Amino acid sequence: MSAAQAELSQEDIEVCRSMQQEEWEVLQSIYPECSSDDISRGGIKLEIPVELGDSRDAEIVDDGSLAVPGELPEDAPSRPNVHEQHLGPMFISLSTLPPLLLDIVVPPSYPLQSPPLLLNIHATHSWLSRPVASLLRQQLIDMWAQGDGVLYAWVEWIRSGDFLESVGLNDNGVIRLPHPSPARLSSLLTSHETLSAQAQFSYTSHPCAICMTSLKGYKCIRLICSHVFCRPCLHEYWGMAIREGSISSVRCPDPECVKEGVEATEEEVRRVVSEEDVRRWKRLREKRDIDRDPTIIHCPLDFCQTPVPKPRNVTDDESSGWDRLRTCHECGYSFCAYCRRTWHGPHTSCPIPFTASFILTYLAHGPGSPERLAIESRYGRANVTRLVAQYEEDKANREWLEKETTTCPNCEIKVQKSMGCNHMTCARCKTHFCYRCGTKLNASHPYAHFSTPGLLCYSKLFDHESIADQDEWQPIEGFEDL
Amino acid sequence: MDARLRRVNKEIADCKNDKSSKIQLDLVDESPFHLKGSFPGPEGTPYEGGRFEVDIRIPDSYPFQPLKMKFITKVYHPNVSSASGAICLDILKDQWSPVLTLKSTLISLQSLLCSPEPDDPQDAEVAKHYMTSRSSFEETARYWTHIYAGGPDPKAKDGGSGGGSRDEVAMAGLEKAHVDQFEALGFERGKVIDVLRRLNYRGANVTKITEDRVVEELLKP
Repeated sequence: MSAAQAELSQEDIEVCRSMQQEEWEVLQSIYPECSSDDISRGGIKLEIPVELGDSRDAEIVDDGSLAVPGELPEDAPSRPNVHEQHLGPMFISLSTLPPLLLDIVVPPSYPLQSPPLLLNIHATHSWLSRPVASLLRQQLIDMWAQGDGVLYAWVEWIRSGDFLESVGLNDNGVIRLPHPSPARLSSLLTSHETLSAQAQFSYTSHPCAICMTSLKGYKCIRLICSHVFCRPCLHEYWGMAIREGSISSVRCPDPECVKEGVEATEEEVRRVVSEEDVRRWKRLREKRDIDRDPTIIHCPLDFCQTPVPKPRNVTDDESSGWDRLRTCHECGYSFCAYCRRTWHGPHTSCPIPFTASFILTYLAHGPGSPERLAIESRYGRANVTRLVAQYEEDKANREWLEKETTTCPNCEIKVQKSMGCNHMTCARCKTHFCYRCGTKLNASHPYAHFSTPGLLCYSKLFDHESIADQDEWQPIEGFEDL
Repeated sequence: MDARLRRVNKEIADCKNDKSSKIQLDLVDESPFHLKGSFPGPEGTPYEGGRFEVDIRIPDSYPFQPLKMKFITKVYHPNVSSASGAICLDILKDQWSPVLTLKSTLISLQSLLCSPEPDDPQDAEVAKHYMTSRSSFEETARYWTHIYAGGPDPKAKDGGSGGGSRDEVAMAGLEKAHVDQFEALGFERGKVIDVLRRLNYRGANVTKITEDRVVEELLKP
């Protein structure tokens, strides 16, 4: 027991005790994650993570200690890898360093008469070398001024990383760490960095710009572009886009990313939507890529449907008839590219569909007529009814498509306009065309088609009649005179 | 309460609380999914001083599908149909994102008024007018702002009261002298205005389009 302590009166010891208690409570309320134990027992441990705020460059240099066996720090690898040893300095980027563990004994005379005793300073993963740790220890002790609590100042000084400068680890803003094995330490520091970033993400709240609420990180997803959205919103958005087939919407919804036009990666999609939707998304994406190529025809067999590209080795002479031949590389079926039926040779023209011809005869005659009965008895009444229904549906479909849609002049997909102007951009192959007449438009001057007097669609960018029909637009008085 | 309604209510409340943007949202009927938005014409443009109303419909799958918007107030602008108010703005179509809101979309419309994109026009005639003679275009746009959006009377500084009658020639962005010239040939005034507007008979174009060409158009039934 030192002389100073001996002089301490009982009253002073009480004052010290209450000051210690107060300091400890403050410390625990501000840094609950840094402190453990109870100060009343005299010994405490502080585990203080170093948070640098922004990302900082760090250089880990070989301290050369491995060259002299016997001076190995306890945690260093006992059998160092020869390759590691000769690696030069490692450069990494850090925003946090693993915690420093401070073993502290608080004497009864602290803070009036004595500083806290620092038994040991240990850095997780031994990123702090022993000489630096002793230097740090001395500096911490020196921070104490008689009569004042110093624990809070210690924690803050270490946590903020300000101490790095004083102990000589900060070299013009670059953190410089000497270590026996730079490669090993850098991988440990990097993985600590990743883990703490994840933990921090999970337990902080993030605003989701879609549902406009704030949610803890574990309910959110950070995309590769680092934009964060909550899982339910992204799930609904992408899931809906996939089910509706508009896979170009499967992308980060942030306006910056939308402008860039970058689509989500497979990994991102996997993190968000169900396995079934992932499969559908992949299939649609492949299909879109194929559909952009109008020479590809899908194998007409129901069970196959493999995309069959136009063969290259066939003669280019279109009049020979051989250019209509396609052979599916998956099932081997040979078919005619025009009628999608079994290959009927280069010279025979495509057959008129057989069913259609007898169904037409059937429909041409009235119910109960002998012609109808004959057909019904030949093919079976149920079959004929089914075929008639199918024929009528096909016909209605064809008529509807004819009336209500325009075919893209490039990929031949049928497009129906819901609103807007007559300048269309094919959602599938990006071809510009006119919705009125189906003509392909020059992508750089698409509007010339509507603005050149004398052309068929001159001044027909909008269908004014249809707007008038809907009676949505209320013309303001006098406008008709224009 | 479903997510769409919650979000729309929040957006409407946000707009009410934000006095600085001068963007207003009103219910059209009892439904919170049919709104009328309005914003002031941007300063330093021919739309200054006017207030522009927009019809807004919020689709069932909002915010995953774009808002449906069109101008209620008539606007003379290359990217707005002068006949129907239809707007072909990319963010209302394939560039939509669920992050966009009623307010941000209306602000985009407001900034569209600041920066027309005549290379991607919705109204080809207006766009041509814009390209041919900027000053004449702006005069017409200002006149429309006065007539339809409650903007200041462009002629007020001359002391003329306008007399309340609408000047069809100014509405079409044409010169009175040109209209008079062809009307004097015996054509009906309305037809002359219509033909000259379609031919974009303005600015430097006047010297390029021969009188014969105009008459030929006028003679077409």
